[in-house]
Amino acid sequence: MTNHWIDMKHADVVMICGSNAVENHPIAAHWIMKAKENGAIVVSCDPRYTRTSAFSDHYCKMRSGTDIAFVNGMINYALQNDRIQLEYVRHYTNATFLLNPEYGFADGLFSGYDQATRSYDRSKWAYALDPSGVPKRDLTMRHPRSVLQLMKAFYARYDIDTVCNITGTPKDVYRKACDVYTSTWAPDRVGCWLYAMGTTQHSHGTQNIRSYAILQLLLGNMGMAGGGVNAMRGESNVQGSTDMGLLYHSLPGYLGEPVAAMQTLSTYLERLTPTSNDPLSANWWQNYPKYITSLLKAFWGTHATKDNDFAYSYLPKTVGNHSYVALVEAMHAGAIKGLFCFGMNPAVGGPNSTRAREALGKLEWMVAIDLFETDSSVFWKRPGTDPSTIATEVFLLPAAASVEKEGSISNSGRWCQWRYKAVEPPGDARSDAWIITQLVAGLRKAYDAGGAFPEPIRQLTWDYGQDADAHGEPDPHRVAREINGYFTEDKDIAGKLWKAGDQAPGFAALQADGSTACGSWIYCGSYPGPNKADNRLARREKSDPAKDPLGMHPNWSWCWPVNRRILYNRASVDAHGQPWDPKRAVIRWNADAKKWEGDVPDGPWPPGEKLPFIMRPEGVACLFAVALVDGPFPEHYEPVESPIRNPMSAVQYSPVCKVWDLKSIGEPGEFPIVATTYRVSEHWQAGAMTRNMPWLVELVPDVFVELSPNLARSKGIRTGDWVRVWTKRGELKARALVTNRFEPLFVAGRAVDQIGIPWHWGYAGIAKGDSANLLTANIGDPNTFIPEYKAFLCDLAKA
Amino acid sequence: MKTKALLIDLPRCTGCRGCQVACKQEYKRQAEKTTFFGGPGYQNPADLSAETWCLVTYNEVLVNGRHDWVFGKRQCMHCEVPGCASACPVKALEKLDSGPVIYHREKCIGCRYCMLACPFVVPRFEYETWNPYITKCTMCAHRQVAGGIPACAKACPTGAITFGDREVLIREAEHRIAGNPGGYVHHIYGMEEAGGTCVLHISSVPFEELGYVMRVPRSPMVAHTEPAMKAVPMVMLGLATVLGASYALRTRKQRDNQPAESGHIS
Ligand code: SF4
Ligand code: SF4
Ligand code: SF4
Repeated sequence: MTNHWIDMKHADVVMICGSNAVENHPIAAHWIMKAKENGAIVVSCDPRYTRTSAFSDHYCKMRSGTDIAFVNGMINYALQNDRIQLEYVRHYTNATFLLNPEYGFADGLFSGYDQATRSYDRSKWAYALDPSGVPKRDLTMRHPRSVLQLMKAFYARYDIDTVCNITGTPKDVYRKACDVYTSTWAPDRVGCWLYAMGTTQHSHGTQNIRSYAILQLLLGNMGMAGGGVNAMRGESNVQGSTDMGLLYHSLPGYLGEPVAAMQTLSTYLERLTPTSNDPLSANWWQNYPKYITSLLKAFWGTHATKDNDFAYSYLPKTVGNHSYVALVEAMHAGAIKGLFCFGMNPAVGGPNSTRAREALGKLEWMVAIDLFETDSSVFWKRPGTDPSTIATEVFLLPAAASVEKEGSISNSGRWCQWRYKAVEPPGDARSDAWIITQLVAGLRKAYDAGGAFPEPIRQLTWDYGQDADAHGEPDPHRVAREINGYFTEDKDIAGKLWKAGDQAPGFAALQADGSTACGSWIYCGSYPGPNKADNRLARREKSDPAKDPLGMHPNWSWCWPVNRRILYNRASVDAHGQPWDPKRAVIRWNADAKKWEGDVPDGPWPPGEKLPFIMRPEGVACLFAVALVDGPFPEHYEPVESPIRNPMSAVQYSPVCKVWDLKSIGEPGEFPIVATTYRVSEHWQAGAMTRNMPWLVELVPDVFVELSPNLARSKGIRTGDWVRVWTKRGELKARALVTNRFEPLFVAGRAVDQIGIPWHWGYAGIAKGDSANLLTANIGDPNTFIPEYKAFLCDLAKA
Repeated sequence: MKTKALLIDLPRCTGCRGCQVACKQEYKRQAEKTTFFGGPGYQNPADLSAETWCLVTYNEVLVNGRHDWVFGKRQCMHCEVPGCASACPVKALEKLDSGPVIYHREKCIGCRYCMLACPFVVPRFEYETWNPYITKCTMCAHRQVAGGIPACAKACPTGAITFGDREVLIREAEHRIAGNPGGYVHHIYGMEEAGGTCVLHISSVPFEELGYVMRVPRSPMVAHTEPAMKAVPMVMLGLATVLGASYALRTRKQRDNQPAESGHIS
């Protein structure tokens, strides 16, 4: 999130789109309720009337997979009706930038498209530069090649009739949503956008989020209290996992993945360190060399030296795609021999789970680390399988649950909170850190006996100690101190001498010369001293509402970066450092004292000295962006499986998304019904925890399909009946729940039915049932390769 | 001592069932065996029971011509003059000045008159066990004594359950209704029902649409039950325990707290 949970209470309008926050993040409702008490209007956009919709003031039904059309229409509404915060847009976004003549858009394709490789040459989407290499700007924004004018032309195609014909939202309902949400263009009205996996899990999921960001920028809602683009993460610590580089395409602190073309540290840095010739741009990522060098020092300590490129060669360089589906496909093809599965349940959680289960059977070995036997750990004896035909050797290691070990979790608002151990883990259960430590020790021993390229393992810094307790658990404080970072040698910084071994005070102190080590630069400053009392993650001080009216609680835990509670907060003030919205001031420049007050600002410079979006080389936010591989503006494409032809262009679905197997894609003639998947409050992800918890099983014991009375009548289905649902990939059996909360949509001139299925079930645990992921497809967003779980085609009948 | 109460503000309820699980956890009640759903929407189990003292209901209702989803909460109402207590021949149920109607299992003889006397059909009998007792929501009297609030109120994320002085909560309910006349029906359920209760509900739709018991006299239940119960000769009480044993032979289906075989709910 750019903002944080408590901050939701400051919104004037809360848009919940691509999320069922009230059901799946129940505590979000706590804060949104406070916003409602203050008169906020809550809007819910969802294919189905959910518990979130029931909580909201205004509900927009829509067809799954049409978010871009939905939001582009709102952007168009804002542009057409002058509902944009003009000064914010002029000074804090690239609306004023001029584009070079090569950029263009026609019939669903941006310039630079290559059909053969299904990819874009993004160099065609560049700014026009002045002789000093700074993008040309027209502050009047009237120049025909200015981003604002090109946007106006692009978005004009998304009028209300066109949008509603795609999304199926009734026009009056949609117009009202546009009107309510764009009312936050006023500097002292703020809109908060909340999203989750309903947004991301599409073949254009990243562009869905882009569309939210563009709208929020036009309305001046970024950096503001009660504003922002807020991803509600699906697991309590998913924020922490991405911060620490668990995604395949990033290193800790969102440093880029070294790919095969980056064989040396200098090529890596050349490719990834942005440059700017604009003196007003802070261009914070110019510090890339400091962060990667410090990371390498944390990994390999004294073995990482200037002479060996700080052991950069020890980092694996990726070739091709290593996203989730790609890994499953590689297992299926026999290219991957072994799998460690930490708290992950691919037999239920991934798309096309039949294929994932087959893939597990092609492994030589698999280690599942979990609280319970999971559907994945018992895949070899799943119903309909003969265990004697599966050669995979499976190990199940009992893991300690989060309350059975000490450590930290980072919540969606980037607050990293320390947790104490409440109880001892049962039996042989151990923390993940203990398990990995044993693994490192075992691997080292094996490499001592020889093997190719042993240095990365043998020289790895692994000094997390051993608790005095019976099992010798590693010390989580040592891990946290390494994540914070420390000096590896004596260093003089601006006249202050830091000794080797001192904890780093913050990332501004990190160095590119090897004198600092840091496990994740964005966490630098979280544990700035040697003692447990220095652990800022463990702080538990609530602040006095009189002194902290926004409820930022700066002394409660710690949040990255530098305890800044609202990102991009420099955009919440005008050129003089005065808040656009004085009643909810995030920061404010005190001209007398010559200092900032309020939240930790995005950089210490006085107002006007630097542009506000310090992570962008432009210094401003990008309405037009070259960062994504599928276009500088979000364009509506149909989901890969769709009931209609794309009304916007001849390009049916994302021209660059990844479809692993075209034969697995169904046609609307055979599969006429739109389906989506989701979760319920009562179950958690792939269900390993909740399907083993009797009180929760009591509440929702069985997989069910929600469908409209219309569709049910036409198929002769009643509530409680068993039904079969099938797609080109597979089939499941579930109970029917006939409900008015699903309604047919009028789309492209005809009625289209939608159904929905929660996906928590599998064959292990107390509550058993088919996983909805038997139905979903191996299709990936081209930027992240997140699978398109949320929109596909099916048919159903009474079983 | 001021009488305490719970105010259930249904428009604030999100149907998350934190309360339902918190109640089970507080009293270590068993999970019931359920199949699919036991009532409209996601309701489970089908009814209050010896193991389920708090039950969230899911009601699809028409509001201004549009379908809405409105949630209800069932539990003991903690009547000011409780029919259950006045029907009990041995004072196993007791109304505390502080509000809760509590149960003394050591006094209970298993006659189950309280079950017949309760207008809200709340007390349940542990047919499952060999030594059965009556069970129901206690308003978490033991937590109140310890200075806490009921477990369900504590768990509720949205403030749909407020614990406080009954008088103050009635004023609060009136204030909320007056402040949002379009958002609430003008009815505080429990202010007068059964002569007044310590659980008060306010709603955006008429309570009958949420399946709330509507045929409750406005006067205290004692007036309706006491004369009849006084006439019961003591010998009947022994008989009641025998009846209890025969009830224990009820079918498995009933114990599963499920509607009908197919799971159909109309
Ligand atoms: S609701 Fe029923 S059980 Fe509860 S106090 Fe009133 S009469 Fe007794
Ligand atoms: S007051 Fe206590 S016993 Fe009654 S429903 Fe709430 S948690 Fe359960
Ligand atoms: S905990 Fe609160 S919001 Fe959740 S179901 Fe119970 S009363 Fe409703």
